[in-house]
Amino acid sequence: MNTSLKPSDISKPSDCLCHIEPGELSLLPPPYEDFNQTAIPPLKPEKIKNIEASLDDTVAIGIPKPASAEEEKELVHQFLCGLKKLFEKENNWTFLQPLLLSMEHCAKCQTCSNACPVYEMSGRKEIHRPIFRAEVLRRIYKKYLKPGGKITAKLTGDIDLNWTTIARLAELSYRCTLCRRCATVCPIGVDNGLINHEIRKLFSQEMGIAPKELHEKGTVQHLRVGSTTGMNPLAAKDSAEFIQEEMEEIAGYKVEIPWDVEGADILLLHNAGEMLAWPENVGAFAIIFQAAGISWTLSSEAAGYDAVNYGLWYDDVQFSRVAVKHADIARRLKVKKIVMGECGHAHKALTVIADRLLTGDLNIPRESAMVTLENIVLNGKLQFDPLKNNFPVTLHDPCNMVRSMGIVEPQRRILRKIAPRFREMTPHGVENYCCGGGSGFAIMSGYNFAEWRNLVSSRKKFLQILNAFEDEPQDVPKYVCAPCSNCKGTIRDMINYYHAEKRSGLHYGGLVELIVNALAGMKKPIIRFGEKPSWEL
Amino acid sequence: MGFYVLSYLCIAVFIIATGCLIYRQLSFPLHVRWEIYPVRHETIARVAYGGSYMEELNWWGKKYKSSLINELKYMVPEILFLRGLWKENRNLWWLSFPFHFGMYLMIATFALLLLHAFFTLWGLPVFAAGGSVSILLSGLIVVTGWSGLILGNIGSIGVLYKRMTEAELRNYSSFGDYFNILFIFLFFLSAFITCLFFDPFLAGAKAYTLGLLTGGHSLNSYMPGQSVSGSLAIVSASLLVAYIPLTHMSHMYMKYFLYHDVKWDDAPNLPGGKIEAAIKNNLKFKPTWKAKHIEADGQKSWKDIAAAAPKEMK
Repeated sequence: MNTSLKPSDISKPSDCLCHIEPGELSLLPPPYEDFNQTAIPPLKPEKIKNIEASLDDTVAIGIPKPASAEEEKELVHQFLCGLKKLFEKENNWTFLQPLLLSMEHCAKCQTCSNACPVYEMSGRKEIHRPIFRAEVLRRIYKKYLKPGGKITAKLTGDIDLNWTTIARLAELSYRCTLCRRCATVCPIGVDNGLINHEIRKLFSQEMGIAPKELHEKGTVQHLRVGSTTGMNPLAAKDSAEFIQEEMEEIAGYKVEIPWDVEGADILLLHNAGEMLAWPENVGAFAIIFQAAGISWTLSSEAAGYDAVNYGLWYDDVQFSRVAVKHADIARRLKVKKIVMGECGHAHKALTVIADRLLTGDLNIPRESAMVTLENIVLNGKLQFDPLKNNFPVTLHDPCNMVRSMGIVEPQRRILRKIAPRFREMTPHGVENYCCGGGSGFAIMSGYNFAEWRNLVSSRKKFLQILNAFEDEPQDVPKYVCAPCSNCKGTIRDMINYYHAEKRSGLHYGGLVELIVNALAGMKKPIIRFGEKPSWEL
Repeated sequence: MGFYVLSYLCIAVFIIATGCLIYRQLSFPLHVRWEIYPVRHETIARVAYGGSYMEELNWWGKKYKSSLINELKYMVPEILFLRGLWKENRNLWWLSFPFHFGMYLMIATFALLLLHAFFTLWGLPVFAAGGSVSILLSGLIVVTGWSGLILGNIGSIGVLYKRMTEAELRNYSSFGDYFNILFIFLFFLSAFITCLFFDPFLAGAKAYTLGLLTGGHSLNSYMPGQSVSGSLAIVSASLLVAYIPLTHMSHMYMKYFLYHDVKWDDAPNLPGGKIEAAIKNNLKFKPTWKAKHIEADGQKSWKDIAAAAPKEMK
């Protein structure tokens, strides 16, 4: 165990504060032993010569190195200005009380550490303790913002503030998936995940520093073009047309995807990534809603066909802009409610966080698709043949939907009805482990970040999945049900990375695919193990 | 008299500091929801697995229910017995529990001493010397007092030793953290020595508490200074009372806000309600964040900014 690093070491210049040697990561069981000696591929010197990369073996942001000492000084100044604003109600009314409570009451008991999958899987590297980055921020806050802090720092915990500290802290805020398991176990109620979230906000909102995938290609593109995928409204409608054709081809079911139906009961918000990567998910929703006779619609307005809100992870202002846009589209369509498709962070963003942002006629009721689907599946309107799903199924709990929203049982009640070989992971429900792609990691792949994710942050989930199926023969196809686009993407990458389809028969997909697969009247199965869908050929 | 003045001052600091802490919590602007499940004021059935009211179809059409009893059923054992630590960090619990429970027992002892002092001052017949109430109360004071001191001493030495010897605790500990534990240990040790050698039945503690209520003028008041350890116990206890709310050790009771106001705050924003009114006020704040994409100029409100798409990328 590496316990030699202290929070104050973050400010001491070195090429790499924390390196993971081959063999230090938590061990994987057979037949994955060959990955136990795998190291994170080294960053190419020519790629990182102009960016800050001294934290560890990967890079999430790629902050340009300051050109001069003056520039460094200016950046340190900007950081302190931003830090001050985190503690002002005008700038941070959104999280001021929770942040201060967590900043002021930590007893440093380390109970949080054992709950953190990144810390555990990294071989218990010190920088991955939930408290490490929180303690760095706490010390800077006390020393540089509290009256007399420079004197009392010797007593309360000292730290040097320089560009190295800041650059590393920015990167370090993107080594935590914001799964908030640490907050669940803290006996006091301190939330190190929240402190990490606030660090990200400081960098984005004051200094304009954030990963490209979240900001430029994320929220900015979402608001400008209509989707973080880059799809404009025309392309989204084209995709839906393609999906209709594919559903008829694959499942033998003629489905109509309704657009912009004013006064519909439901505005369904999909993560637009589904349209491109998993069109069968969008098609399956359409089949279920159509078969159940639901009055529903999609929106073709920019941002209205993409439920994501990456602002949730790094920027309250961008978050607010996207949330307001979503609500305004629903308001103008005069729908009775918004139903969130299979996207965990979009669930939490619009249902929970935006609940204290939307007022008046923007406060349209929002519901989880898990709940809507449960009502359809269990109310007897549709007939099912569960034996069509007669293969081992386990359920991944998306953190944002389950731990942060308490949507736990509806999806399970559905699975108990339609998947006879459903089994839980250990632990599950609100104690679940993150897929490893939380807080934006699923879509971040610059430099070697995808390898870091597969090897470190996704490792615990991979172990959980293997354990859930350990009683099944290797050659039996197994289905990991992940009702969240980002989790699904992460699980897809992990299956590919570890060759787990070949070695363990692992497959993955959403919940609606399983529902449609079990529908009694369907001519063809929508889930076909081992067959590549037409859009991947 | 100096001891009494010190105690009064320290109690005043405690009341003012705690009042400020609580007032600050009550005066923060309403924050966005950041609850984490299980939310303990949900129904028993949902608490069992961590479910929420959002699991219901059209939940907004149903009455929002929140049970303070269910919250307290979790919160009281959590505060008293540290059950979160028992579940998640058992090794530390064996030391942290006696440390904390020792302090709680000392608070309980002080409450009993106050009760004793009130009864003495009022001269109630039911409390006559040798009566059953008097014997019971005196017995309780001895039991809680001794138990608290024994647990507190064991706990303080234990947590101090653990923090000094385990790297994962030591690397995050400052001088202040050790000082806090030593300060508490000083009180427990001095009070323990006093009880052991000079005052096994806490008669001095009873008399000092009586003196606190009478400005030291009651005939039965304790005259501090009869032993060095007794004086030290009074001084350290008084200073601790003032010191705790000024440090992170106030988590003993500020935990209520961490749980009730953040972890379990799932109250939905219903049209026309108090929450909506608070949000409207929050949206009037004028941020000054400097990143270009925020486009804040100190004049635009959160509402203006949220309604506009950014022109700048960075």
